[in-house]
Amino acid sequence: MQDYLNIAVTGDVDSGKSTLIGRFLYDTGSIADAAIEEIKDVSQRITGDFEFAYLLDSFEEERKSKLTIETTQAFCKTKKGKRFIFIDVPGHQELLKNMLCGSSYADMAILVIDVQSTIEEQTKRHLSILKFLDIENIIVVLNKMDLVNFNEDVFRHTEERIAEFFKNIGIRYKYFIPVSARQGDNLIKKSKEMIWYKGLSLIEALNGSFKGLNSDVFRFPIQDIYNIDKEKVAVGKIISGKIRKGERIKILPLNRVNKVKRLKLFNQNKFIAKAPMSIGIVLDDMDGLKRGQIICKTKLPSVSREISAKIFCVNKLNPEEELRFRCVTQESSAQIINVNSIWDIATLEKKNSQDILDKTNIAEVVILTDIPVTTEKYKGFNSLGRFVLQNNDSEICAVGIII
Amino acid sequence: MSDYSYLDELESRSVYIIREAYWKYKNKLVILWSMGKDSTTLVHLARKAFFGKVPIPVIHIDTTFKFKQIYEFRDKYVKCWKLNLIITKNDMALKKDMSPKKGRFNCCTALKTEALKQVIEKYRLRALLVAIRRDEHSIRAKERYFSLRDKEFKWDYQNQPLEMWSEYYNTKEESGTHIRIHPLLHWSEIDIWRYIKKEKLPSVNLYFAKKRRRYRSIGCECCCQPIESSANSIDRIIEEIQNSRVSERSGRAQDKEKEYMMQKLRSLGYM
Repeated sequence: MQDYLNIAVTGDVDSGKSTLIGRFLYDTGSIADAAIEEIKDVSQRITGDFEFAYLLDSFEEERKSKLTIETTQAFCKTKKGKRFIFIDVPGHQELLKNMLCGSSYADMAILVIDVQSTIEEQTKRHLSILKFLDIENIIVVLNKMDLVNFNEDVFRHTEERIAEFFKNIGIRYKYFIPVSARQGDNLIKKSKEMIWYKGLSLIEALNGSFKGLNSDVFRFPIQDIYNIDKEKVAVGKIISGKIRKGERIKILPLNRVNKVKRLKLFNQNKFIAKAPMSIGIVLDDMDGLKRGQIICKTKLPSVSREISAKIFCVNKLNPEEELRFRCVTQESSAQIINVNSIWDIATLEKKNSQDILDKTNIAEVVILTDIPVTTEKYKGFNSLGRFVLQNNDSEICAVGIII
Repeated sequence: MSDYSYLDELESRSVYIIREAYWKYKNKLVILWSMGKDSTTLVHLARKAFFGKVPIPVIHIDTTFKFKQIYEFRDKYVKCWKLNLIITKNDMALKKDMSPKKGRFNCCTALKTEALKQVIEKYRLRALLVAIRRDEHSIRAKERYFSLRDKEFKWDYQNQPLEMWSEYYNTKEESGTHIRIHPLLHWSEIDIWRYIKKEKLPSVNLYFAKKRRRYRSIGCECCCQPIESSANSIDRIIEEIQNSRVSERSGRAQDKEKEYMMQKLRSLGYM
C-alpha cells in the first residue's frame, strides 16, 4: 500500500484553491511559524486580512493580483502518518501548461467550485485534462459556504447542477463536500454550521483514497550503458514488476532473449529488484544493448512504427512538421500521418478533422515513427502507454496516450 | 518499513534524474556541493547512480566565510569518496573586501551568484546539479526539475516549460544559458534526515546540539544562527523536526532580510 497521495487541486480563478490548501496545511500543523508570521505581515500590507492563500502564492505578482501563476507543491503529514502532497495548479487559461504539468504528477484530484458560481470554461478545461490523463478519483468541494450562510438548499441546488454536468461529459466523481476553506469547515473538523451534512470531511475522504500500487508486468527501459569495472551495465528505473537473478528476459525491439547474470546496486548484493527501484542489470550477452530498448518479461508490449494515440496539444501543431517522439527513454523522429478527429477541450465538441491542431485541442491521430518503438495501451499510470512530442526547438508541444 | 519503501522511491526518482542529466550533458555537468546535509545527500545519490565512481566534478563555491568544520568535512570526504573537487571563489570581490557588512544581498550576489557565473564561464558548463528542495521555501516550491537560466542567470518563473510524469524534462538551451537540475526537489527536510540515518551518511557536526544549540541549516558562519535545541543525534533531530513548527531556514539571514528577498536573489541566479 502506498502511504502517500499526490493530489492535484484544480478549479476556477477565485474558487479558493490556494486558500483551501493553505488552511488544510495550517489546521494539520504543517506550516512553520515563520511562514505564518511572514504571511500575517504581508497580508496586512496588501489586504488587511490573514490570507491562507499566501502560504502557496509566494511570488510578489501572485500575492498582489491574487492569482496563482505557477504550480506549487505543498507537503502535509497527518497525525496518523499519512502523507499528502498538494499540487496547487493555476486556474487561469493562459497557464494551462502549468495545469497539465501539475496534474501529471497526481494520483487523484480535488475540484474546488465556488458554491455561488456557475461552471466556467476553465473548470471544463480542467476536467477535460483530468479525463485525458485518466485521473478518475475526483473529490468535488463546494467552497465558500460561509458566504451563503451554510444554507443546505444552496448546496443541494449546486450539487445537482454539477452532477448533471459531470454526467454529460462522462466523468465520475467520488464525493461532494460543502466547505468553507477560509473558516476551515469540513476540512479537518466537521462543520458545526452544517449539521445537515452527514457525509465525510475532506480529510476523511482523502484518507479513504489510498490504494495499492498498480501493474505487475516487468518493464525496464534502458537509460544508459555504463562501463563499471570493465563490465557493461544497463542502468535504468524499473517502471513496473520485478526481476530476479537468473531469470530469462526479452529485449525489445531487438526481440532477443537473454538471461539476467547479475543485478547491480551500489554496495549491495541483490537477487531480486522491483519497481520503482533504479538499478543496473548485467545480462549474459550485453552486445548491441543501448538506451531506448525495453527489457521485459511476459505479456509483451507491441513493437511498431505506427501508433494510434490521443494527443493534447500544448502548442499549435503543424502535421507537416517533423516531430520528435519520446516514450520514456525511447526517441525517434516522427510525423502525424492521420488526424481522425479533433475536439475543443472546453466544449468537448468535435471540430472538423481538416482543421489545424490548435493549442489546447485534443485529437485522435496516427503517428508514424522512424524507428520501431515499444508501446502499450494506456491504463492510467503505465509509462509505456504515454509519450510526448517535441518540435525542432526540443520543446514539448503535445502529450499523448496510446489508445 | 513503510517509511523505507517511501525513501527508496525518493532515492530512485533522484537517481533517475541524475542519470538523465549525465546522459544529456556528460562532461559539461557538475554537482554543487556546499557540504550541507542536502548536497551531501546529492553527492551520495550520485555515488549510487554510478556505482561508487562519480564521473561528475563536484564544485564548492567558497565564500571564505564558511565554518571551519565545513572545510574539514569537505577535505575528508573528497578523499574518502574519491571526488573530483573544484573550488571556486570570486577573488576580485574578495580583494575588495566583500563581506556581509556591505549588505547581505550584495554579499550573497557577489560571493555566490557571481562566483558561480565565473566557474560556469571558465569550464563552459551547460548544466548544474543543485540540491534544493520544494519544502525549503515557498519560492523553491515552484521550481521544475530541469530549470533554465538565461545568459544573465535570470529565472523566467512566469513561463516555465512543461514537465510531464517525472519522465520528460525540458532540455532546451541556447548558447550562454545553463540548466539547473534539481534531483532532490521532491524531498522534505525530514526525508533527508531519515535517509542519512538509513544510509549511515556522515554530516557536519554543526547540525548536532552542543550546549543546547544546534544549526538546522548551515552556510556562512556570519549569516547562520543556531536554534535552541537538545537534539544531539540523528534520531533526536528527526523527532525535533516532527514536533517543530519553526522553519528550517529560520536561521538563515538572507531569507528574511526583506520581503521577497528570496525571490529577488533567485531571479538573479541565486540557488
